[in-house]
Amino acid sequence: MIPALAPPRSVYVHVPFCRHRCGYCDFSLLAGRDDLFERYFLAMACELKRVPLPLALDTLYLGGGTPSHLGPAGLRRLFNLLHGPLVPVGTAEITMEANPSDVTGPLAALAKGFGVTRFSLGAQSLDAATLRSLDRDHSPDDVRQATATLLGAGLSVSVDLLIAAPGQSLAAVEQDLEAVIALGVQHVSVYCLTWEKGTQFDALRAQGILSVADESIERAMFEATIDRLEAAGFEHYEVSNFARPGFRCRHNEAYWDCRPWEAFGPGAARYDGRERITNHRSTTGWMTRVLEGQDFTGDRDAMTPEEAARERVVVGLRRRDGLDREEFRAASGLALDTIAGAAIVAWVADGLATDDGQRVRLTREGLLLSDALWQRVLTGRG
Amino acid sequence: MSIDSAHIRNFSIIAHIDHGKSTLADRLLERTGTVEKRQLKEQMLDDMELERQRGITIKARAVRMGYHYKGELYELNLIDTPGHVDFHYEVSRSLACCEGAVLLVDAFQGVEAQTVANAYAAINQNLTIVPVVNKIDLVHARVDEVLAEMEQSLAIDAAEVVLTSGKTGLGVDELLAAIIERVPAPTGDPNGVLRAMIFDSHYDSYRGAITYVRLVDGTIKRGQKVRFLETGTTHEVLEIGQFVPQRRACEELVAGQVGYLVCNIKDVKQVHIGDTVICPGDTIAAPLPGYKRPQRMVYCGLYPSEGENFEELRDSLEKLSINDPSFDYSPESSEALGFGFRCGFLGLLHMEIIQQRLEKEADLDLVQTAPNVTYQILKTDGTVLEITNPQDVPDSGQIDEFRQPIVRTNFLVPVEHIGPVMQLSTDRRGTYLKTEYLSPTRAMLTFDLPLADVIYDLHDKLKSVTRGYGTMDYELIGYMPADLVRLDILVGGKNVDALSIICDRRDADRRGRSIVKKLRSEIDRHMFEIALQAAIGTKVIARETISAMRKNVTAKCYGGDISRKKKLWAKQKEGKKRMKSIGSVDIPQKAFMAVLDTGVDRA
Ligand SMILES: Nc1nc2c(ncn2[C@@H]2O[C@H](COP(=O)(O)OP(=O)(O)O)[C@@H](O)[C@H]2O)c(=O)[nH]1
Ligand code: SF4
Repeated sequence: MIPALAPPRSVYVHVPFCRHRCGYCDFSLLAGRDDLFERYFLAMACELKRVPLPLALDTLYLGGGTPSHLGPAGLRRLFNLLHGPLVPVGTAEITMEANPSDVTGPLAALAKGFGVTRFSLGAQSLDAATLRSLDRDHSPDDVRQATATLLGAGLSVSVDLLIAAPGQSLAAVEQDLEAVIALGVQHVSVYCLTWEKGTQFDALRAQGILSVADESIERAMFEATIDRLEAAGFEHYEVSNFARPGFRCRHNEAYWDCRPWEAFGPGAARYDGRERITNHRSTTGWMTRVLEGQDFTGDRDAMTPEEAARERVVVGLRRRDGLDREEFRAASGLALDTIAGAAIVAWVADGLATDDGQRVRLTREGLLLSDALWQRVLTGRG
Repeated sequence: MSIDSAHIRNFSIIAHIDHGKSTLADRLLERTGTVEKRQLKEQMLDDMELERQRGITIKARAVRMGYHYKGELYELNLIDTPGHVDFHYEVSRSLACCEGAVLLVDAFQGVEAQTVANAYAAINQNLTIVPVVNKIDLVHARVDEVLAEMEQSLAIDAAEVVLTSGKTGLGVDELLAAIIERVPAPTGDPNGVLRAMIFDSHYDSYRGAITYVRLVDGTIKRGQKVRFLETGTTHEVLEIGQFVPQRRACEELVAGQVGYLVCNIKDVKQVHIGDTVICPGDTIAAPLPGYKRPQRMVYCGLYPSEGENFEELRDSLEKLSINDPSFDYSPESSEALGFGFRCGFLGLLHMEIIQQRLEKEADLDLVQTAPNVTYQILKTDGTVLEITNPQDVPDSGQIDEFRQPIVRTNFLVPVEHIGPVMQLSTDRRGTYLKTEYLSPTRAMLTFDLPLADVIYDLHDKLKSVTRGYGTMDYELIGYMPADLVRLDILVGGKNVDALSIICDRRDADRRGRSIVKKLRSEIDRHMFEIALQAAIGTKVIARETISAMRKNVTAKCYGGDISRKKKLWAKQKEGKKRMKSIGSVDIPQKAFMAVLDTGVDRA
């Protein structure tokens, strides 16, 4: 049985601009091309026409890039474009990513005026040396000020933290964690630095100038993160995400529930419940194609119900709540054990997962090694 | 239209690789009008693709050329010989079909190892040598020095040497004249009892086996019956003819001539190189001398990555062996790898060729074990075991003598590299025999070395210590007792039979250490720690550990990441190809080759 397609209730909007490109970043964005804002707005207005009816939304997420880099005028312009086709319901979660140094009282007020409920701050660290090594242009104080401003304006705040930065010690990570906890924010996302191909960091690594942290040290950093944030009252609810009770990111939860969502902008991916379609990744390519009426889609990932169910196992198990057999069957139309029964039994035997007959969860060990589990699930072999 | 034998010349061209044999052969074909210039698609004689890629002639070929000399028509049969040491036996059979050999030496490179080896092979068969210095058009040609080297190493009179350039065609007429004047006409009686030597064969998908023969005595006519003496089979001759260079049928071949037979033979395995063709019922016809069964020097195991492909692999091996009788296979099973085949080859190059063909022609994922040479074991009960797989080595209590193949190896090197070459050979437990100086700057060193130590990497090592100038050649002289042991490799506490090797006891520590170290770098981390051990019997002599994976989790998996990340996670599948799971450890194909790491030269 193929579940009927529901209309999406979440929307992602990609804002592909930053002041400069950080050495580790491989996102779809243009650095220092503020001259293209206008063309971007035109293209966005155009792509939004894809949606025939106004969409009622539970969540809206402005990511990037750095949406705050658009500045007050630019943000006003963008929100005005979105309102109309997109109609967030009263309780909707509207998140906007921001660079700490862009956050000011007026910006917070303006965002709030457009319905924004939540800011995600690209802090990365609260240590000056680490920030420098990460190529960031803000200071620890910028982060403290930005959070204070946003919290003061009654907004919910999430902070991104990066660990295993080049040369960073375990002690430095622990200090960063304390500093983040002290900010009093509702949500923290912690990412181990990934060395993406084509980034400046990756090139420096190849030249032997930067070195990748030892796997054991990375593990220790990650475990310290989980321990420390949990002790401070955060729930670890997905591999990289921690929230005070009631403050999980509802938008991201829509992804991990495999609910349908819409997305606009270069490199943005949407999902209708059967197929994930990713827009053309290059910003200029996307703009040109949209404005000239050409096809601007890039990759398409069409899934059979079984493939979709396999994907659901993976994204579901990356959440600490794991998968509930009944919910799984109701959502996917397939039994969890048909899809991954043998694997689950093996994981439980190896101490990588627990299974109470109803719900399957990865153990911490399982979560830390989880990439090694997915091949079996995704290919259905073994 | 039969020709009297006084007007037949049968000859080969012998040379070190790259001295210009193929180019010169092309000029001969052209000059004799056998092939027109524009038809000459590069080098006609090497017409197999793989061989052309490697720039070597592997299978013998024979071409008949007609040439008018001093008003008379001669039939010149050029019998091509394989250039690589793996095919020594084929070379000797091809030479046995000739009365003369053109010995080609590059005017710049001078005498090299295969020059000497081939020249001796020809001299031993009593062939008349027509010495040639080739590529004299080269700016750097050093003709006088090369003449001196030839005189010194092979006692060749400089006055007899023909100077040629395959590139410009210079000297080709002189060479043809020299062949006719100097190479003796075949003797042999056209009316005598039929005896013909089989010197090659190939498989044609329409006609079956094409058998290459040199008639020694008697006459073969189309339609008659013949008998292959060694194989004991009788066949009707459906077609006979000569290569001109395509097949051209004729009514009969007489003593002295070279040509082919088509006999409706579906399996080339029935055609043995060196066998004698006679008339059925002819009890007086004696076999021609020199016949040997093809001798496989190197063995390896071939296993399908996916066990269920066993039958497909069998079919592909069967098909290949129809084309190449010197390759041999038989089913075997390994605790680690399941069901597969033990395959025998003439040498490592031959192994590589077969492997490439398998990959190209059958779309199979294969796991190959490291090659090993054949050993002999004299058991305490007096029987002799031939060992083609280290797994078959019996308990040391049953072994009286453990013997390994020894090859006599000639190195031709610039004198300043004598030291390093001595070192290379003594490192490999070679027995030094002699040094001969070909000239003040070049010397030939002779050692007896274990074949196992020669085939894997000695050629590469030689090239590197002599900056490319050294050459080598070797020939099996027999099996000699040595202090050999079987070295076992344990992965995660399990003995992986497919990783066992046989080596000299004195090398075992070093080999063991380097193998487990190499394995450590070839096997990926797993979720658990993996112990790697090398052991002789129950005694562990080396150990390494692959520590458990500590952290392996993708940080970001949001809406725009999922499709891409999913591909990465599932893509590990491709890395799975050519992997074997042993216990719960995935061992990649490359790891099975790790046991070839000798651990020499990197202390
Ligand atoms: N200058 C020059 N080069 C030649 C001559 N004959 C062959 N070569 C080159 O030497 C190389 C080896 O020639 P080839 O006939 O393939 O050698 P083989 O390996 O002995 O068959 C090729 O690059 C030829 O172009 C020659 O007479 N003069
Ligand atoms: S600010 Fe964020 S999106 Fe922009 S370049 Fe840096 S890491 Fe990438």
